[in-house]
Amino acid sequence: MNIVGETLATAIPGSVALLYPSLGELISERTGVTNLGTEGSMLSGALAGIAVTLATGNPVLGVLAAAVAGAACAAVHALAVVLRGANQLASGLVIWFLALGVTSVLGSPLNGKIVDPLPALRIPVLASIPGIGPALFDQNALVYAAYLLAPAIWLFLTYTRTGLALRATGERPAVVFAGGHNPTALRFSATTVGGALAGLGGAQLALGIVGNWANGMTNGYGFVAVAVVIFARWTPLGVVAGSYLFGVALALASVIQANGIGVNQYLLDSLPYAVTIIVLVLVSRFGRSNAPESQRDALSETV
Amino acid sequence: MSEQLPQVVTPVAAQPRLRMPAWLSWRRLAIVVGAYLACVVVFAAFAAWQGADPGTLLPAMLQSTVLNPTALTQTLLRAVPIGFAALAAVVPARAGLVNVGAEGQLIMGAVAATGVGLAVGTHVPGPLALIATVAAGGVAGAVWAGISAVFRIWFRAAESVTSLLLNFVASDVMLFLIYEPWKDPAGSGQPQSRPLPGDVRLGDLTSTGLNASVIVLALAAVGVWLLLRRTGWGFALRVIGGNPEAARRSALPSWSLLLSAMLVGGLLAGLGGALNLIGVEGQLRPGITTTFGYVGFLAAFLGRNDAIRATLAALLFAAIALSGNGLQLVAGLDGNIVNVLLGSIVLTMLLVGRTQGERL
Repeated sequence: MNIVGETLATAIPGSVALLYPSLGELISERTGVTNLGTEGSMLSGALAGIAVTLATGNPVLGVLAAAVAGAACAAVHALAVVLRGANQLASGLVIWFLALGVTSVLGSPLNGKIVDPLPALRIPVLASIPGIGPALFDQNALVYAAYLLAPAIWLFLTYTRTGLALRATGERPAVVFAGGHNPTALRFSATTVGGALAGLGGAQLALGIVGNWANGMTNGYGFVAVAVVIFARWTPLGVVAGSYLFGVALALASVIQANGIGVNQYLLDSLPYAVTIIVLVLVSRFGRSNAPESQRDALSETV
Repeated sequence: MSEQLPQVVTPVAAQPRLRMPAWLSWRRLAIVVGAYLACVVVFAAFAAWQGADPGTLLPAMLQSTVLNPTALTQTLLRAVPIGFAALAAVVPARAGLVNVGAEGQLIMGAVAATGVGLAVGTHVPGPLALIATVAAGGVAGAVWAGISAVFRIWFRAAESVTSLLLNFVASDVMLFLIYEPWKDPAGSGQPQSRPLPGDVRLGDLTSTGLNASVIVLALAAVGVWLLLRRTGWGFALRVIGGNPEAARRSALPSWSLLLSAMLVGGLLAGLGGALNLIGVEGQLRPGITTTFGYVGFLAAFLGRNDAIRATLAALLFAAIALSGNGLQLVAGLDGNIVNVLLGSIVLTMLLVGRTQGERL
């Protein structure tokens, strides 16, 4: 395989692990809830995925458990933020911290246990496209689901009544209420669904890529997801672009390493974070801000 | 004869409502106490589920944190990086900035202190080398925080997100230095930097190993409190943080205030990283900060961004963090279980605490 194909093949699974939490964060932020606890939802999803797969031998149940675990974390965040009006950033960090503690305690008996990663399902004709075929169409089911998820969320947010109400919740909750929807319920459910997606991102990391559990294995992906949503300017298709950019930076780091080019491994490891920060900064400066009204305050965007 | 001023009638709604402080109401007190008790019970149940005898938990935790002089010393020393990280969040918070980057600023403080300590430790007279080492840590922390401040002020990028992501970059920079240029050739298997020469280490003040870094933290807490409460700069920060519009109208120099708040925050975190290095660690190793920066952020939050209260919260969190050792030894639990207790305490506060009027 050439270096482009090689990079792409590595980039896609990693991008998908970020695409899920980013889409989840997008849905949640559209209603006005920033969730740094996404990192915690991912960790819980990763552990639940591995644990249930080990216990039942069925990776499908593992993936479902990951979504449930991620949703549970996010529900706690929603409880604090939506129902109790707590500080969003503090609550998110606390959820992450709790998840870090709980997963490292519950996960310690699983350290070193290996499960078979989700099987690659080769799509007959498409996979034989030279160059990109194997990279795009010889992947696991979570990757294919991710291909469909972003357009589905875009259609949902753009063309359905609930989607409209959901977007309006982040802008003018009073109007949503007057229109017969319940902004509190919308925020709660959007945050929880966002957590379920983050859990799937954790499952993709644990079950789709590495096939085992390691303490703190999400490495800040959940935090990167928050940045991706900002520079995607709260659009699903922007999130796709942002996630793949991060995935390519991640893959470049490992491809450069594997090809023995003399750059230090640890400096390469920081590449995806550095790229994320630089893109975030450039987009914040030169992009038109279309942040949902309630997000401007939440991340203290402007003075 | 002075002219009669027209009587100004203030509308009732505009008058501040007089009411009892929220914590004085019995119902409120009962809810708060009940919630924290529930939080402890849930933690004990979780520990019991993990195979610990609930009766041994409290003695084990107290034994490893406060009940003997050595343990108490450990707690005070652990409070240094956490306390400085808390102060690093407190100062920018005054100006309405969210510094979630204390972790990275602690790391960069420790990194710069290691670099300077290794370079000058044996060539320069002791006290001068020590000052240079600590100062390098502070400057590095300030620079690291300054990056987020610049991105915020001139590029409008949310400092909460950039400072958070810079933590991961800082960690990778440190790992690079430990594994490559500063690697200790004598380190058997364990990755670590060369140890700092004795000139740039803090000497013990007591037989239990207490050193001056704890005093520096206490001074810093009082200093920050005075700076925020008793100086014009502190007042201006509060104006800009409380009401940016008013600050603009009164022509406060907003960018220099925001920048200085963030730089002072980073400086404090960098000092914390350097003091922890020269007071406790002695050499750079992976995991030198292990989430102290985040714990500090939560302590600042628990202390409602007041310098003294945040430092006391940091002391409490340092004790909880260290109590993991006791739980590990006596109750046979995973040491990370203390993160569960720490998280539940702040979560309880978020769930039952007064909201800050920032309901969505």
